[in-house]
Amino acid sequence: MTPSTRAHSTTHSIRCRMQAEPAALERLCQVTRIRGFRIEQMQVHSDDGYLAIDMALSGSRAIDMLQAQIAKLHSVESVSTQSYTASATSTTEGIRRSA
Amino acid sequence: MNAAQHILDAFKRHQIDTVFGYPGGCIMPLYDALVAHDQVGVEHVLCRHEQACALAADGYARASGKLGVCIATSGPGATNLITGVANAHRDSVPMLVITGQVPSPLIGTDAFQETDILGMTLGIVKHSYLIEDAESLPGIMEEAMQLAQSGRPGPVWIDIPKDILLTDIADRQAPEAPAMDAESADAGTLQQILDMLRQARQPLLYSGGGISLAGAENAFRRFASASALPNVVTLKGIGNPGRDNPDQLGMLGLHGSRAANLAVDACDLLLVVGARLDDRATGVLDGFAPNARLIHIDTDAAELGKLKPADLAVRGDIAPILDALADALDDQPLAIDDWRRRCSDWRKTHGFQAATNDDPHAPISGPGFIRQLSALTPRETIVACDVGQHQMWVAQHFQFDHPRSHLSSGGLGTMGFGLPAAIGAQFACPDRPVINVTGDGSFMMNAQELATIRRHNLPIKLVILDNQCLGMVRQQQELFYGNRESQINLDDNPDFLALARAFDIPTLAIERSDQIRRGIQTILAYDGPMLLHVAIDRSENVWPIVKPGASNREMLDESQRPNRTPSTRNKENAA
Repeated sequence: MTPSTRAHSTTHSIRCRMQAEPAALERLCQVTRIRGFRIEQMQVHSDDGYLAIDMALSGSRAIDMLQAQIAKLHSVESVSTQSYTASATSTTEGIRRSA
Repeated sequence: MNAAQHILDAFKRHQIDTVFGYPGGCIMPLYDALVAHDQVGVEHVLCRHEQACALAADGYARASGKLGVCIATSGPGATNLITGVANAHRDSVPMLVITGQVPSPLIGTDAFQETDILGMTLGIVKHSYLIEDAESLPGIMEEAMQLAQSGRPGPVWIDIPKDILLTDIADRQAPEAPAMDAESADAGTLQQILDMLRQARQPLLYSGGGISLAGAENAFRRFASASALPNVVTLKGIGNPGRDNPDQLGMLGLHGSRAANLAVDACDLLLVVGARLDDRATGVLDGFAPNARLIHIDTDAAELGKLKPADLAVRGDIAPILDALADALDDQPLAIDDWRRRCSDWRKTHGFQAATNDDPHAPISGPGFIRQLSALTPRETIVACDVGQHQMWVAQHFQFDHPRSHLSSGGLGTMGFGLPAAIGAQFACPDRPVINVTGDGSFMMNAQELATIRRHNLPIKLVILDNQCLGMVRQQQELFYGNRESQINLDDNPDFLALARAFDIPTLAIERSDQIRRGIQTILAYDGPMLLHVAIDRSENVWPIVKPGASNREMLDESQRPNRTPSTRNKENAA
């Protein structure tokens, strides 16, 4: 499925836990933007050297692609997504980062 | 031991014996530590531009499979590295980048030579670090070196403020980096691959740069032999099957062989291994392998299904997967003789071909020259290309026996890559012949590195295919922009022979077909660096080519060249 074949926008939520290191949030936001999503809302909570991040996103591309790209980031410990369309909600449980 | 000395100590522990760099203010503590380099055992190669430092480290890593290391100072030193680091990132080359940063208290004050290099480079690294306290450096060094080389490799950047480089670190054993083992495919998945291969009547193997990155060259050849699958390669996969594989159809894609693209179009199963389905390889996705089921094997989970959904997506270590498949196929080969014969026929009729001209006074053709270069050089020769028409002629017509012998900027397409990459390759492989094949446009992008070649007396052979223009752009303007030439004329280039001689590098020039053999033999026989200037026809194109927006089955060749009228040429340099 190519990105251009998805015509309509969907709302997604992403929950991410990553190490609180320099530029951590910028790294996450950059990946989100470059992979074709707009950040509508963002909440960040710092917790013992980690950042717990909840983001509401909109975009027409496949959210699982973004999830895979975020999971690739070295400082990301876990990431899970949830998508909302008019008719259904789907959830993908968190996946562990690996090299 | 201060942090700078610790970095050198870490190099020594990890057998990093060659680094490429350029000193400056904020990285000076590391260069001061290098003064005692005889004890450290690290050879520092002073390139003449930081971009060349990164590209040389890239070439070193590509040729050797080891970690490339480059070093620069803050500000312009760091920003000059960026193109080379982006190049490594796009081609998944393992690299460690170390830059100095302004002292910690000055960060954020717009200090002299301060740039937010961490922020500027987020998109071109596998990971990056800004060191905030000296005690964290030992652990980060270990982690960074492992991270750069594990899984899908890539550049890792460590930015270190000057005050931290000077800070003493408690003398203790460096911590071990956490293990980052890639997953392997399970038996059920392997059986699925075998079942799909056995069900297919026209299966095709498609491999890329991931084979050599995974150190899976031997496993790949074993599998290719056991399966006897007709095979195609990407630009970075050139050399995967070796010179002698009877089932190879060459490179696919934009400038691939018609044979390769025909096979992809006709196959009913495409087994993609260590390739990311790059748009230069696939053309328009809707028309790519339209009749095929797809198996995609890669070490990077994010590549699976990214561009084209796979019927079977497998993440894991490539070598053990291919070894296991080869074991199974050794016992029960595939029954695909008719398909192999069909592909073999395509190879004979639609493989890469170079026009021949028996006239000894005929102008030199790019493809014809590369074919003779390939025939006259030893198998172990490393060729570092630049970017442009000559790059594609090398990809099409040079017979490589190993993927690490072909150094080419794939994902980023970096003009100026070839010369510093050749320098890196020669340091990595001092006993192998190294040739930089370049064009007149690319050569000018990093020509200052002739000084590095001279300083170290590297026996690199420089071959400039000079058509006095930006040939690939001119070609596309001719074919797809109504032959309206725009800013591609380079006929006022300097005298490259005089330029090389200014760096004390001997030269030779050829311009006729009957001079090719002697020219190549002369530079190969010369004990030291030498430049061969090859004058080629300005109007020569790379064939075949896929029209932008078309599928690979719609390749153009010379017979479809539009009528070229001189009146459409502009006179950009006439004044």
